Amino acid sequence: MSLRGHHRTESTHEQGISFLVVRLGKTRLALPADGVRGVLTPAEAGVGDSIKAVGITYQHLDLVGFLMISADFDTADTRVVLYSNGRSHAAVRVEQVFGLTEVEPVQCIPLPAHFRADERTWFSGMILHGEGLALIVNPTWLLGEVAEVVSMTPGGMLR
Amino acid sequence: MLRASKQQEKSVDIKRSWNLLIFSIGGERLAVRTDDIGGIAHWTDSIAVPSRTPFVQAMLRREKELMPVYDLAARLNRTLVGDPLLCLVAKHLDGLMAICIDGDMPSLHTIDAGALQFSTRADIETIGSFNDGDGEIPVVALQTLGGSSASHNGHATGL
Repeated sequence: MSLRGHHRTESTHEQGISFLVVRLGKTRLALPADGVRGVLTPAEAGVGDSIKAVGITYQHLDLVGFLMISADFDTADTRVVLYSNGRSHAAVRVEQVFGLTEVEPVQCIPLPAHFRADERTWFSGMILHGEGLALIVNPTWLLGEVAEVVSMTPGGMLR
Repeated sequence: MLRASKQQEKSVDIKRSWNLLIFSIGGERLAVRTDDIGGIAHWTDSIAVPSRTPFVQAMLRREKELMPVYDLAARLNRTLVGDPLLCLVAKHLDGLMAICIDGDMPSLHTIDAGALQFSTRADIETIGSFNDGDGEIPVVALQTLGGSSASHNGHATGL
């Protein structure tokens, strides 16, 4: 598994925040990098509802379904991101991985107050990325959804 | 007898008339108070944001400036006309907000405060309406279009 590129937007004395920026449909998502455990090709990920890596089972999470995004995973750029907080473990399929981006905390922009529904739970803010922006995924929400999936599948752990 | 100061006379004059901008969405004419406008510019491509807030599902980026997009055309079930389209920047209570409008150049209009009538529109927030001889034109309440975080949190707003 490999990560493409590592871009630092500014040099500074303060500790920056690293994100793995990925794409689903037309939407760029920024995953806090400290939760990234690996990036696999579809061939490495194999088939099935879960992926086992280094003794840990990562449950597939249909982020496209949750966010109601249209995505095409039949491309050479498709990857599977392994994400974990040490207790919950998710495998998220994405259309493209841009790579790691480090920003200063002040460059993390809050979601405008005009957004007033579930998206305020999904995303904790956004960062400028290239010509557009990337939405910072809330890992607590992301991995909480995994726990839901696990509890609902046969043989899954009960919450 | 005391004479009103020039400043007092001027403020009385302002309240006697309203400065409005008349624009169109899908050919339907609408008006807004010029005080509620942050600017007019050419429209650029917006960035989709997964969202469950009605009609707020994108952001607009101009260099390093970001603002949410309110899809007024979708709310009015209209198809925008003109190329290029225009961007009306609204001074919403929650912050600046971009609205895509028809490409026809908007026009300025001044009406007497007494010409403002009660609007019968139930599909959009209005301050009132007026008739310019060619038909009734609703004056859109830009500051509270789609609601605001204050009203959403249960605080009363004077609309």
